[in-house]
Amino acid sequence: MTDAILELRGVSKSFGEGDRRVDAVRDVTLDIDRGEMVSLVGPSGSGKSTLLAMVGGLLQPTAGAIVVDGEDITRHGKGARTRYRRDRVGFVFQGSNMVPFLTARENLLIVGEFGGVDRGALRHRADELLEELGLARVRDQVSSQLSGGERQRVAIARALMRDPVLILVDEPTASLNSELGSRVVDALKEEIHGRSKACIMVTHDERMAERADRLIEFRDGRLHSADARPETVRSSEAR
Amino acid sequence: MLAIREMRRRKLQFALVTGVVALVSFLIIMVTGLGLGLYQRAGTALLSLNGDQLAYADNANLSLIRSRLTEAQVRDIEAKSGADDATPLGYIAAVIEYAPGRRDTAAVVGLVPGSFAEPRTIEGRALSSPDQILVDRSWARLAGTRVGDVLPLPVGFDRRNFTVAGIVDQGYFFFQPAVYVSLEAWQAIAYQGDASQRPAASVVLLKGKTLDASRGSGWEAVTKRTAFDNIEGVQAQQSTVNALRYMGLLIGAMVIGVFFYVITLQKVSLLGILKAIGASGFYLVTQGLLQVAVVSAVGALLAVGLAVLLQTTVLASSSVPIAFTTSAVLTTALSVLVAGMIGAGLSVRQVAAIDPIIAMQQQ
Ligand SMILES: Nc1ncnc2c1ncn2[C@@H]1O[C@H](COP(=O)(O)OP(=O)(O)OP(=O)(O)O)[C@@H](O)[C@H]1O
Ligand SMILES: [Mg+2]
Repeated sequence: MTDAILELRGVSKSFGEGDRRVDAVRDVTLDIDRGEMVSLVGPSGSGKSTLLAMVGGLLQPTAGAIVVDGEDITRHGKGARTRYRRDRVGFVFQGSNMVPFLTARENLLIVGEFGGVDRGALRHRADELLEELGLARVRDQVSSQLSGGERQRVAIARALMRDPVLILVDEPTASLNSELGSRVVDALKEEIHGRSKACIMVTHDERMAERADRLIEFRDGRLHSADARPETVRSSEAR
Repeated sequence: MLAIREMRRRKLQFALVTGVVALVSFLIIMVTGLGLGLYQRAGTALLSLNGDQLAYADNANLSLIRSRLTEAQVRDIEAKSGADDATPLGYIAAVIEYAPGRRDTAAVVGLVPGSFAEPRTIEGRALSSPDQILVDRSWARLAGTRVGDVLPLPVGFDRRNFTVAGIVDQGYFFFQPAVYVSLEAWQAIAYQGDASQRPAASVVLLKGKTLDASRGSGWEAVTKRTAFDNIEGVQAQQSTVNALRYMGLLIGAMVIGVFFYVITLQKVSLLGILKAIGASGFYLVTQGLLQVAVVSAVGALLAVGLAVLLQTTVLASSSVPIAFTTSAVLTTALSVLVAGMIGAGLSVRQVAAIDPIIAMQQQ
């Protein structure tokens, strides 16, 4: 019996057929524990986003199983997938993906409209998160008028709204300066440790990657190293 | 609610399409009103005659203008039709100069005073002498005629004065406001020359749902309904009006449909993101349909308001043949709503088919 909240078993994903076939993810087996924040690094095109999409229930793997909290999500039908995305996963996309005509706060509250949750409690949660991520000042600003960094933080807050067990983050800090970036990552980490969730964060930023509990490196669709402490990877790359 | 928030934040877009829907609905309501108005003008007076069937000369092809019955034929109809009751009617269109230099055409109906064909008056008295006349409210309004006034009707190259005995409320006859005189007076107005050569009546009004015979020597009887439908132009008119209505509904459905289709296309990436964070296809479709319902309901309501406004101001005092009934207006508003839903239903599949993976491809 492990404490793994996410188990990947021989997960592969290829796109296209014949000559045009791209093996984006190849035979990945990996466990992530409760309360663990993992950063996922690797060159562009190495399959990081594809892996995240599969774990987030947006893409069906070509082969393998993805078990979240004991449930194999690759067996889910359409409705179960929708509920899985709604209740179990908080996704922060590479683009910040706001609803442009809603305010920062409304963008958080939108997740309450999809059902299955107490909306009164969500209002509380929204204000708490806005405060925590330094967004209180812009809470009633329409999101199309927010800066890139503000939008990214709203996206992170939105992912945390429904208390998901799994938080998936694709390039969260791209438009944040390093100080703000660290602050955001620390806030995320606190959530994950405090509420025993798990998180995979894809990043190109070494200093961000370093702040995670574990660092996973992807090369060409495969796991290059899976249990490295952030420092070891850095020193191996430095060589 | 996302749907309502979006409409509030994108007021201009939604206001524009609501305006267009309102105008299209208004057009449909007007066309419907015109249809009803023309229908009423065609011959409400005929439909409200206190009888069930009409006997025509059989060579008249059910034309009130061409039908002429002799005294013998009228007696034959009375005897052979087996109707509960029968009374002759005459029809002629006549120009009445009701004030110096002011003239208008009226449908002059000849009838036997005191017979069941004589309409009840809403003002004044029934006909009691051959130089009296009953006028319909539509004529009274047009010409400003009151009980006791004198109206000159053309008789040959001459004129004869008729005193208005009463006012009735039977509507138009044959697209003209109706006036009623005695059968003899009608004969004089309709046919000059030798009195013995004149036709006795245009048609005979019969009482009784079923007849022993609906044909005889030189005549045929039909129901009031058939008689009405055979008034020259009625059918063509009604089918034209109906074609216009359906056209309008089609345009309304297309306007709403295309608008929401374009809006949906614009929002594909946004809808993908919402799906990616847990919105079901059902939720998104419901939100879309809610917007359609609001746009078409508000549009239809504005149109109804506009129609009511028009009726109480301009139409009330004009001779434009547009008539509204509450049920016709409501039916139209409802049809617009349904048409809009159908039009927008085209986008439903589009929404359902959006793959949430596009959320990953946004920059
Ligand atoms: N829908 C698709 N169809 C075909 N090929 C795809 C598709 N999605 C991704 N790929 C390919 O799969 C490989 C992995 O892509 P992925 O987006 O996962 O890389 P990444 O590691 O996230 O890169 P980056 O750091 O640039 O975001 C790439 O070669 C990409 O071209
Ligand atoms: Mg990527």
